[in-house]
Amino acid sequence: MIEIRNLQKQFGAVAALRDVSFLAPDGAITGLLGANGAGKSTTLRIACGVLKPGGGEVLVDGISPGADPLALQRRVGGLLDHAGLYARLTPRETFAFSGRLHGIPPLRLRERVEETIAFLGIEAVADRRTGGFSLGERMKTALGRALIHSPRNLLLDEPTSGLDVPSVRALRHLLQRTRDAGACIVFSSHVLEEVRALCDQVVILAQGRVVAEGTPGELCRQAGATTLEDAFVAFTGAAEVPEC
Amino acid sequence: MLNQILTVAEKELNDGWRDRRAMVSSALYCLMGPGVVSMVSLAVHDSQPVLIAMMSVFTLVSVFVGGMNVAMDSIAGERERRSLIPLLMHPISRLDLLLGKWLAVSAFSAAGLALNLAGYAPLLHRAPPLALALCLVPLSLLAAALELWISVLCRGVKEAHTYLSMLVFVPMGLGMFMVFSPVAGHGWWKFVPVAGQQLQLEAGMRGAQLDPLAILFLSFGTAVLAGMALVAAADRLEQDDVVYGG
Repeated sequence: MIEIRNLQKQFGAVAALRDVSFLAPDGAITGLLGANGAGKSTTLRIACGVLKPGGGEVLVDGISPGADPLALQRRVGGLLDHAGLYARLTPRETFAFSGRLHGIPPLRLRERVEETIAFLGIEAVADRRTGGFSLGERMKTALGRALIHSPRNLLLDEPTSGLDVPSVRALRHLLQRTRDAGACIVFSSHVLEEVRALCDQVVILAQGRVVAEGTPGELCRQAGATTLEDAFVAFTGAAEVPEC
Repeated sequence: MLNQILTVAEKELNDGWRDRRAMVSSALYCLMGPGVVSMVSLAVHDSQPVLIAMMSVFTLVSVFVGGMNVAMDSIAGERERRSLIPLLMHPISRLDLLLGKWLAVSAFSAAGLALNLAGYAPLLHRAPPLALALCLVPLSLLAAALELWISVLCRGVKEAHTYLSMLVFVPMGLGMFMVFSPVAGHGWWKFVPVAGQQLQLEAGMRGAQLDPLAILFLSFGTAVLAGMALVAAADRLEQDDVVYGG
Protein backbone atom coordinates (compact mmCIF):
# COMPACT_ATOMS: atom_id res chain seq x y z
CA MET A 1 0.00 0.00 0.00
CA ILE A 2 1.34 3.41 -0.93
CA GLU A 3 0.02 6.54 0.68
CA ILE A 4 1.08 9.91 -0.68
CA ARG A 5 0.42 12.85 1.65
CA ASN A 6 0.59 16.46 0.50
CA LEU A 7 3.59 15.84 -1.71
CA GLN A 8 5.41 18.92 -3.02
CA LYS A 9 8.48 19.29 -5.19
CA GLN A 10 10.16 22.32 -6.66
CA PHE A 11 12.85 22.28 -9.39
CA GLY A 12 14.31 25.78 -9.37
CA ALA A 13 11.47 28.13 -10.26
CA VAL A 14 9.24 25.30 -11.45
CA ALA A 15 6.73 23.77 -9.03
CA ALA A 16 6.50 20.19 -10.30
CA LEU A 17 4.24 19.07 -7.45
CA ARG A 18 2.08 21.53 -5.49
CA ASP A 19 -0.10 19.19 -3.44
CA VAL A 20 -0.47 15.54 -4.34
CA SER A 21 -2.27 13.13 -2.01
CA PHE A 22 -3.78 9.73 -2.76
CA LEU A 23 -3.89 6.19 -1.47
CA ALA A 24 -2.96 3.22 -3.66
CA PRO A 25 -4.27 0.06 -1.93
CA ASP A 26 -2.94 -3.51 -2.10
CA GLY A 27 -4.42 -5.85 -4.67
CA ALA A 28 -5.34 -2.99 -6.99
CA ILE A 29 -3.88 -1.14 -9.95
CA THR A 30 -4.00 2.62 -9.47
CA GLY A 31 -3.66 4.67 -12.62
CA LEU A 32 -1.98 8.06 -12.63
CA LEU A 33 -3.32 10.18 -15.45
CA GLY A 34 -2.16 13.61 -16.47
CA ALA A 35 -0.90 15.69 -19.34
CA ASN A 36 2.84 16.10 -19.94
CA GLY A 37 4.37 17.96 -17.00
CA ALA A 38 1.41 17.23 -14.70
CA GLY A 39 3.73 15.61 -12.13
CA LYS A 40 3.22 11.87 -12.75
CA SER A 41 6.89 10.95 -13.17
CA THR A 42 8.00 13.18 -10.30
CA THR A 43 5.43 11.56 -8.01
CA LEU A 44 6.61 8.08 -8.96
CA ARG A 45 10.30 8.99 -8.59
CA ILE A 46 9.70 10.33 -5.10
CA ALA A 47 7.58 7.30 -4.21
CA CYS A 48 10.42 4.96 -5.13
CA GLY A 49 13.03 6.95 -3.20
CA VAL A 50 15.03 8.25 -6.16
CA LEU A 51 14.07 11.88 -5.51
CA LYS A 52 13.58 13.51 -2.13
CA PRO A 53 10.25 15.26 -1.55
CA GLY A 54 10.25 19.03 -1.10
CA GLY A 55 7.33 18.69 1.32
CA GLY A 56 4.81 16.08 2.43
CA GLU A 57 5.59 12.40 2.76
CA VAL A 58 5.31 8.97 1.23
CA LEU A 59 4.20 6.03 3.36
CA VAL A 60 4.82 2.56 1.99
CA ASP A 61 2.99 -0.24 3.81
CA GLY A 62 2.36 2.34 6.52
CA ILE A 63 6.07 3.01 6.99
CA SER A 64 7.68 6.40 6.46
CA PRO A 65 11.34 6.40 5.35
CA GLY A 66 12.16 8.68 8.30
CA ALA A 67 15.79 8.25 9.27
CA ASP A 68 16.28 5.36 6.83
CA PRO A 69 16.40 6.86 3.34
CA LEU A 70 16.58 3.44 1.70
CA ALA A 71 13.34 2.16 3.28
CA LEU A 72 11.34 2.96 0.15
CA GLN A 73 13.75 1.16 -2.16
CA ARG A 74 13.45 -2.02 -0.07
CA ARG A 75 9.67 -2.10 -0.31
CA VAL A 76 9.10 -0.86 -3.83
CA GLY A 77 9.93 -2.18 -7.27
CA GLY A 78 9.79 0.14 -10.22
CA LEU A 79 10.01 0.53 -13.92
CA LEU A 80 10.73 4.19 -14.52
CA ASP A 81 12.51 6.09 -17.26
CA HIS A 82 12.33 3.35 -19.89
CA ALA A 83 13.95 -0.04 -19.48
CA GLY A 84 17.49 1.21 -18.78
CA LEU A 85 19.21 -2.15 -19.12
CA TYR A 86 22.88 -3.07 -19.32
CA ALA A 87 23.41 -4.13 -22.92
CA ARG A 88 26.27 -6.49 -22.11
CA LEU A 89 24.44 -8.39 -19.37
CA THR A 90 21.88 -11.15 -19.90
CA PRO A 91 18.45 -11.06 -18.18
CA ARG A 92 19.68 -13.78 -15.81
CA GLU A 93 22.73 -11.67 -14.88
CA THR A 94 20.59 -8.53 -14.61
CA PHE A 95 18.21 -10.23 -12.18
CA ALA A 96 21.09 -11.69 -10.16
CA PHE A 97 22.80 -8.28 -9.91
CA SER A 98 19.58 -6.62 -8.81
CA GLY A 99 18.77 -9.39 -6.35
CA ARG A 100 22.21 -9.19 -4.75
CA LEU A 101 21.79 -5.43 -4.28
CA HIS A 102 18.47 -6.19 -2.57
CA GLY A 103 20.31 -8.53 -0.21
CA ILE A 104 18.62 -11.78 -1.30
CA PRO A 105 20.71 -14.74 0.01
CA PRO A 106 22.56 -16.62 -2.80
CA LEU A 107 20.57 -19.87 -2.69
CA ARG A 108 17.22 -18.09 -2.60
CA LEU A 109 18.39 -15.72 -5.32
CA ARG A 110 19.11 -18.60 -7.68
CA GLU A 111 15.56 -19.87 -7.20
CA ARG A 112 14.09 -16.41 -7.47
CA VAL A 113 15.88 -15.70 -10.76
CA GLU A 114 14.44 -18.90 -12.24
CA GLU A 115 10.96 -18.06 -10.92
CA THR A 116 11.14 -14.59 -12.46
CA ILE A 117 12.32 -15.92 -15.83
CA ALA A 118 9.44 -18.43 -15.85
CA PHE A 119 6.90 -15.79 -14.74
CA LEU A 120 7.92 -13.48 -17.57
CA GLY A 121 8.15 -16.33 -20.09
CA ILE A 122 11.59 -15.30 -21.29
CA GLU A 123 13.37 -18.66 -20.98
CA ALA A 124 14.45 -18.51 -24.64
CA VAL A 125 16.38 -15.25 -24.19
CA ALA A 126 17.41 -15.54 -20.54
CA ASP A 127 21.06 -16.10 -21.42
CA ARG A 128 21.30 -13.66 -24.31
CA ARG A 129 22.77 -10.21 -23.78
CA THR A 130 20.02 -7.59 -23.71
CA GLY A 131 21.79 -5.38 -26.28
CA GLY A 132 19.96 -6.96 -29.20
CA PHE A 133 16.56 -7.28 -27.54
CA SER A 134 13.28 -6.06 -28.98
CA LEU A 135 11.48 -3.36 -27.00
CA GLY A 136 9.06 -5.94 -25.63
CA GLU A 137 11.89 -8.17 -24.42
CA ARG A 138 13.60 -5.17 -22.86
CA MET A 139 10.46 -4.14 -20.98
CA LYS A 140 9.92 -7.68 -19.72
CA THR A 141 13.52 -7.82 -18.51
CA ALA A 142 13.13 -4.45 -16.80
CA LEU A 143 9.91 -5.67 -15.19
CA GLY A 144 11.72 -8.79 -13.98
CA ARG A 145 14.41 -6.61 -12.43
CA ALA A 146 11.69 -4.62 -10.65
CA LEU A 147 10.05 -7.83 -9.37
CA ILE A 148 13.17 -9.77 -8.36
CA HIS A 149 12.86 -8.90 -4.66
CA SER A 150 9.14 -9.75 -4.66
CA PRO A 151 8.04 -6.21 -3.77
CA ARG A 152 4.52 -5.68 -2.46
CA ASN A 153 4.46 -2.36 -4.29
CA LEU A 154 5.18 -1.75 -7.96
CA LEU A 155 5.56 1.61 -9.69
CA LEU A 156 5.39 1.83 -13.48
CA ASP A 157 5.90 4.97 -15.51
CA GLU A 158 4.35 4.58 -18.96
CA PRO A 159 5.51 0.97 -19.28
CA THR A 160 3.69 0.33 -22.55
CA SER A 161 5.20 3.31 -24.34
CA GLY A 162 6.49 2.18 -27.73
CA LEU A 163 5.38 -1.43 -27.35
CA ASP A 164 3.54 -3.31 -30.08
CA VAL A 165 0.09 -4.79 -29.46
CA PRO A 166 1.20 -8.34 -28.49
CA SER A 167 3.77 -6.91 -26.06
CA VAL A 168 1.17 -4.58 -24.52
CA ARG A 169 -1.20 -7.50 -24.04
CA ALA A 170 1.56 -9.64 -22.52
CA LEU A 171 2.55 -6.83 -20.15
CA ARG A 172 -1.08 -6.25 -19.21
CA HIS A 173 -1.52 -9.91 -18.30
CA LEU A 174 1.67 -9.84 -16.24
CA LEU A 175 0.43 -6.80 -14.33
CA GLN A 176 -2.97 -8.37 -13.72
CA ARG A 177 -1.33 -11.53 -12.38
CA THR A 178 0.93 -9.41 -10.14
CA ARG A 179 -2.10 -7.46 -8.89
CA ASP A 180 -4.06 -10.68 -8.28
CA ALA A 181 -1.16 -11.90 -6.14
CA GLY A 182 -1.93 -8.96 -3.83
CA ALA A 183 0.54 -6.33 -5.01
CA CYS A 184 -0.12 -2.60 -5.00
CA ILE A 185 0.54 -1.28 -8.50
CA VAL A 186 0.72 2.40 -9.45
CA PHE A 187 0.75 2.89 -13.18
CA SER A 188 1.08 6.10 -15.18
CA SER A 189 0.00 6.34 -18.78
CA HIS A 190 -1.16 8.68 -21.49
CA VAL A 191 -3.28 5.98 -23.09
CA LEU A 192 -6.76 6.42 -21.63
CA GLU A 193 -8.13 3.21 -23.11
CA GLU A 194 -5.36 1.26 -21.46
CA VAL A 195 -5.99 2.94 -18.11
CA ARG A 196 -9.69 2.18 -18.37
CA ALA A 197 -9.00 -1.49 -19.19
CA LEU A 198 -6.34 -2.06 -16.56
CA CYS A 199 -6.82 0.23 -13.59
CA ASP A 200 -9.09 -0.36 -10.61
CA GLN A 201 -8.90 3.29 -9.65
CA VAL A 202 -7.59 6.42 -11.32
CA VAL A 203 -5.94 9.56 -9.97
CA ILE A 204 -5.91 12.55 -12.33
CA LEU A 205 -3.11 15.10 -11.92
CA ALA A 206 -2.99 18.59 -13.39
CA GLN A 207 -0.30 21.18 -12.73
CA GLY A 208 1.09 19.29 -9.76
CA ARG A 209 -2.25 18.73 -7.99
CA VAL A 210 -4.75 15.89 -7.74
CA VAL A 211 -7.89 17.14 -9.47
CA ALA A 212 -9.96 13.96 -9.35
CA GLU A 213 -9.85 10.35 -8.21
CA GLY A 214 -12.10 7.30 -8.30
CA THR A 215 -12.89 4.32 -10.50
CA PRO A 216 -13.14 5.06 -14.25
CA GLY A 217 -16.95 4.81 -13.93
CA GLU A 218 -17.04 7.18 -10.96
CA LEU A 219 -14.88 9.73 -12.79
CA CYS A 220 -17.21 9.67 -15.78
CA ARG A 221 -20.22 10.17 -13.50
CA GLN A 222 -18.50 13.00 -11.57
CA ALA A 223 -17.65 14.78 -14.81
CA GLY A 224 -21.01 14.02 -16.45
CA ALA A 225 -19.06 12.47 -19.32
CA THR A 226 -19.64 9.32 -21.32
CA THR A 227 -15.98 8.46 -21.89
CA LEU A 228 -12.88 8.59 -19.71
CA GLU A 229 -11.31 10.90 -22.29
CA ASP A 230 -14.14 13.42 -21.90
CA ALA A 231 -13.89 13.13 -18.12
CA PHE A 232 -10.12 13.67 -18.30
CA VAL A 233 -10.58 16.80 -20.42
CA ALA A 234 -13.27 18.09 -18.08
CA PHE A 235 -11.09 17.66 -14.99
CA THR A 236 -7.81 18.93 -16.43
CA GLY A 237 -9.27 21.76 -18.46
CA ALA A 238 -7.27 20.57 -21.45
CA ALA A 239 -8.17 22.45 -24.58
CA GLU A 240 -10.43 20.79 -27.08
CA VAL A 241 -8.81 19.98 -30.39
CA PRO A 242 -10.33 22.37 -32.93
CA GLU A 243 -12.19 20.75 -35.75
CA CYS A 244 -10.58 20.96 -39.12
CA MET B 1 27.01 -2.81 2.80
CA LEU B 2 30.41 -4.23 1.83
CA ASN B 3 28.59 -6.96 -0.07
CA GLN B 4 26.71 -4.33 -2.08
CA ILE B 5 29.92 -2.42 -2.85
CA LEU B 6 31.57 -5.62 -4.07
CA THR B 7 28.47 -6.53 -6.09
CA VAL B 8 28.64 -3.20 -7.92
CA ALA B 9 32.40 -3.56 -8.42
CA GLU B 10 32.00 -7.09 -9.81
CA LYS B 11 29.27 -5.98 -12.18
CA GLU B 12 31.36 -3.06 -13.44
CA LEU B 13 34.42 -5.29 -13.94
CA ASN B 14 32.34 -7.84 -15.82
CA ASP B 15 30.51 -5.22 -17.88
CA GLY B 16 33.69 -3.26 -18.61
CA TRP B 17 35.65 -6.35 -19.60
CA ARG B 18 32.91 -7.38 -22.05
CA ASP B 19 33.22 -4.05 -23.84
CA ARG B 20 36.08 -5.47 -25.89
CA ARG B 21 36.42 -2.51 -28.24
CA ALA B 22 36.87 -0.15 -25.29
CA MET B 23 39.33 -2.58 -23.69
CA VAL B 24 41.40 -2.77 -26.86
CA SER B 25 41.45 1.02 -27.28
CA SER B 26 42.49 1.51 -23.62
CA ALA B 27 45.22 -1.12 -23.99
CA LEU B 28 46.55 0.51 -27.16
CA TYR B 29 46.48 3.91 -25.43
CA CYS B 30 48.49 2.49 -22.53
CA LEU B 31 51.04 1.02 -24.98
CA MET B 32 51.43 4.28 -26.89
CA GLY B 33 54.15 5.36 -24.44
CA PRO B 34 56.38 2.34 -25.03
CA GLY B 35 55.76 2.77 -28.78
CA VAL B 36 56.82 6.42 -28.81
CA VAL B 37 59.80 5.79 -26.54
CA SER B 38 60.99 2.94 -28.75
CA MET B 39 60.86 5.25 -31.79
CA VAL B 40 62.85 7.90 -29.91
CA SER B 41 65.39 5.26 -28.88
CA LEU B 42 66.14 4.73 -32.58
CA ALA B 43 66.69 8.44 -33.13
CA VAL B 44 68.73 9.44 -30.08
CA HIS B 45 72.22 8.13 -29.37
CA ASP B 46 73.04 7.23 -25.75
CA SER B 47 69.41 7.78 -25.03
CA GLN B 48 68.76 6.03 -21.70
CA PRO B 49 68.25 9.20 -19.54
CA VAL B 50 65.95 10.73 -22.16
CA LEU B 51 64.00 7.53 -22.55
CA ILE B 52 63.51 7.15 -18.80
CA ALA B 53 62.32 10.76 -18.49
CA MET B 54 59.82 10.19 -21.30
CA MET B 55 58.79 6.86 -19.86
CA SER B 56 57.98 8.39 -16.47
CA VAL B 57 55.56 10.83 -18.13
CA PHE B 58 53.81 8.24 -20.28
CA THR B 59 53.51 5.84 -17.36
CA LEU B 60 51.57 8.38 -15.33
CA VAL B 61 49.36 9.04 -18.36
CA SER B 62 48.60 5.31 -18.58
CA VAL B 63 47.31 5.39 -14.99
CA PHE B 64 44.70 7.95 -16.05
CA VAL B 65 43.91 6.24 -19.35
CA GLY B 66 43.46 2.67 -18.06
CA GLY B 67 40.11 3.28 -16.36
CA MET B 68 38.89 6.21 -18.43
CA ASN B 69 36.44 4.30 -20.64
CA VAL B 70 34.91 2.44 -17.72
CA ALA B 71 34.56 5.64 -15.65
CA MET B 72 32.93 7.40 -18.60
CA ASP B 73 30.50 4.54 -19.10
CA SER B 74 29.68 4.02 -15.47
CA ILE B 75 27.89 7.27 -14.57
CA ALA B 76 27.65 9.55 -17.62
CA GLY B 77 26.94 6.48 -19.73
CA GLU B 78 24.33 5.26 -17.25
CA ARG B 79 22.57 8.62 -17.46
CA GLU B 80 22.68 8.59 -21.24
CA ARG B 81 21.23 5.10 -21.65
CA ARG B 82 18.80 5.71 -18.76
CA SER B 83 20.01 2.93 -16.51
CA LEU B 84 20.97 5.29 -13.67
CA ILE B 85 17.46 5.66 -12.23
CA PRO B 86 16.83 1.90 -12.17
CA LEU B 87 20.19 1.54 -10.42
CA LEU B 88 19.31 4.20 -7.84
CA MET B 89 16.07 2.36 -7.11
CA HIS B 90 18.07 -0.33 -5.31
CA PRO B 91 18.56 -0.04 -1.53
CA ILE B 92 22.18 1.08 -1.74
CA SER B 93 23.52 4.48 -0.70
CA ARG B 94 24.97 6.62 -3.45
CA LEU B 95 28.35 6.66 -1.72
CA ASP B 96 28.43 2.85 -1.64
CA LEU B 97 27.39 2.79 -5.27
CA LEU B 98 30.30 5.05 -6.15
CA LEU B 99 32.69 3.04 -3.99
CA GLY B 100 31.83 -0.07 -5.99
CA LYS B 101 32.34 1.71 -9.28
CA TRP B 102 35.55 3.28 -7.96
CA LEU B 103 37.02 -0.13 -7.07
CA ALA B 104 36.33 -1.33 -10.60
CA VAL B 105 37.71 1.79 -12.32
CA SER B 106 40.78 1.65 -10.05
CA ALA B 107 41.37 -1.96 -11.06
CA PHE B 108 41.27 -1.04 -14.76
CA SER B 109 43.56 1.92 -14.05
CA ALA B 110 46.06 -0.32 -12.25
CA ALA B 111 45.84 -2.82 -15.12
CA GLY B 112 46.66 0.01 -17.55
CA LEU B 113 49.69 0.92 -15.44
CA ALA B 114 50.86 -2.72 -15.34
CA LEU B 115 50.43 -3.06 -19.11
CA ASN B 116 52.40 0.14 -19.68
CA LEU B 117 55.27 -0.99 -17.44
CA ALA B 118 55.28 -4.38 -19.14
CA GLY B 119 55.58 -2.58 -22.47
CA TYR B 120 58.75 -0.79 -21.30
CA ALA B 121 60.42 -3.89 -19.85
CA PRO B 122 61.93 -5.20 -23.12
CA LEU B 123 62.90 -1.68 -24.17
CA LEU B 124 64.60 -0.42 -21.03
CA HIS B 125 65.62 -3.85 -19.69
CA ARG B 126 64.52 -2.95 -16.21
CA ALA B 127 61.42 -2.51 -14.09
CA PRO B 128 60.72 0.05 -11.38
CA PRO B 129 61.44 -1.00 -7.77
CA LEU B 130 58.50 -2.74 -6.11
CA ALA B 131 58.44 -0.09 -3.37
CA LEU B 132 57.09 2.37 -5.92
CA ALA B 133 53.81 0.45 -5.94
CA LEU B 134 53.18 2.15 -2.60
CA CYS B 135 52.72 5.49 -4.32
CA LEU B 136 51.66 4.36 -7.81
CA VAL B 137 48.68 2.26 -6.68
CA PRO B 138 47.18 5.22 -4.75
CA LEU B 139 47.62 7.21 -7.96
CA SER B 140 45.31 4.67 -9.65
CA LEU B 141 42.82 5.28 -6.85
CA LEU B 142 43.07 9.04 -7.37
CA ALA B 143 42.75 8.81 -11.15
CA ALA B 144 39.66 6.61 -10.78
CA ALA B 145 38.06 8.95 -8.23
CA LEU B 146 38.68 12.05 -10.37
CA GLU B 147 37.34 10.30 -13.46
CA LEU B 148 34.18 9.23 -11.64
CA TRP B 149 33.71 12.75 -10.32
CA ILE B 150 33.92 14.13 -13.85
CA SER B 151 31.59 11.39 -15.05
CA VAL B 152 29.01 12.39 -12.42
CA LEU B 153 29.27 16.04 -13.48
CA CYS B 154 28.61 15.25 -17.15
CA ARG B 155 25.26 14.61 -18.80
CA GLY B 156 26.45 12.17 -21.40
CA VAL B 157 29.34 10.20 -22.78
CA LYS B 158 30.42 12.85 -25.29
CA GLU B 159 30.73 15.53 -22.63
CA ALA B 160 32.50 13.14 -20.27
CA HIS B 161 34.92 12.12 -23.01
CA THR B 162 35.86 15.75 -23.61
CA TYR B 163 36.61 16.49 -19.96
CA LEU B 164 38.27 13.14 -19.27
CA SER B 165 40.57 13.72 -22.24
CA MET B 166 41.50 17.06 -20.66
CA LEU B 167 42.20 15.31 -17.36
CA VAL B 168 44.82 13.18 -19.10
CA PHE B 169 46.72 16.40 -19.82
CA VAL B 170 47.27 16.89 -16.06
CA PRO B 171 49.84 14.09 -15.71
CA MET B 172 51.14 14.83 -19.20
CA GLY B 173 51.60 18.57 -18.65
CA LEU B 174 52.88 18.23 -15.12
CA GLY B 175 55.19 15.43 -16.22
CA MET B 176 56.68 17.49 -19.06
CA PHE B 177 57.16 20.39 -16.66
CA MET B 178 58.98 18.12 -14.22
CA VAL B 179 61.23 16.78 -16.97
CA PHE B 180 62.28 20.18 -18.26
CA SER B 181 62.05 22.44 -15.20
CA PRO B 182 65.21 23.28 -13.27
CA VAL B 183 63.23 23.34 -10.01
CA ALA B 184 62.07 19.74 -10.47
CA GLY B 185 63.29 17.43 -7.77
CA HIS B 186 63.91 20.25 -5.35
CA GLY B 187 61.96 21.14 -2.23
CA TRP B 188 58.27 20.42 -1.98
CA TRP B 189 57.69 19.15 -5.54
CA LYS B 190 58.45 15.61 -4.46
CA PHE B 191 55.48 15.72 -2.08
CA VAL B 192 52.97 16.87 -4.72
CA PRO B 193 50.75 14.01 -5.96
CA VAL B 194 51.40 13.10 -9.61
CA ALA B 195 54.61 15.22 -9.76
CA GLY B 196 56.06 13.36 -6.79
CA GLN B 197 55.19 9.98 -8.27
CA GLN B 198 56.90 10.94 -11.48
CA LEU B 199 60.08 12.03 -9.69
CA GLN B 200 60.20 8.81 -7.70
CA LEU B 201 59.51 6.72 -10.80
CA GLU B 202 62.28 8.43 -12.71
CA ALA B 203 64.69 8.01 -9.80
CA GLY B 204 63.73 4.36 -9.44
CA MET B 205 64.26 3.65 -13.12
CA ARG B 206 67.66 5.35 -13.05
CA GLY B 207 68.67 3.20 -10.12
CA ALA B 208 68.93 6.24 -7.84
CA GLN B 209 67.98 6.26 -4.17
CA LEU B 210 64.23 6.46 -3.50
CA ASP B 211 62.93 8.86 -0.86
CA PRO B 212 60.93 6.74 1.65
CA LEU B 213 59.44 9.80 3.37
CA ALA B 214 58.22 11.22 0.06
CA ILE B 215 56.79 7.84 -0.97
CA LEU B 216 54.87 7.48 2.30
CA PHE B 217 53.62 11.06 2.10
CA LEU B 218 52.57 10.58 -1.53
CA SER B 219 50.72 7.34 -0.67
CA PHE B 220 48.78 9.00 2.08
CA GLY B 221 48.22 12.35 0.37
CA THR B 222 47.12 10.78 -2.91
CA ALA B 223 44.68 8.47 -1.12
CA VAL B 224 43.24 11.41 0.83
CA LEU B 225 42.73 13.36 -2.40
CA ALA B 226 41.01 10.31 -3.91
CA GLY B 227 38.69 10.17 -0.91
CA MET B 228 37.86 13.86 -1.27
CA ALA B 229 37.05 13.43 -4.97
CA LEU B 230 34.80 10.47 -4.14
CA VAL B 231 32.90 12.38 -1.47
CA ALA B 232 32.43 15.28 -3.92
CA ALA B 233 31.15 12.84 -6.56
CA ALA B 234 28.74 11.19 -4.09
CA ASP B 235 27.47 14.62 -3.04
CA ARG B 236 26.86 15.52 -6.68
CA LEU B 237 25.06 12.24 -7.24
CA GLU B 238 22.58 13.23 -4.52
CA GLN B 239 21.45 16.28 -6.52
CA ASP B 240 18.05 16.20 -8.21
CA ASP B 241 19.29 17.28 -11.62
CA VAL B 242 21.53 14.22 -11.88
CA VAL B 243 18.40 12.10 -11.60
CA TYR B 244 16.35 14.40 -13.78
CA GLY B 245 19.00 14.90 -16.43
CA GLY B 246 18.91 18.69 -16.13
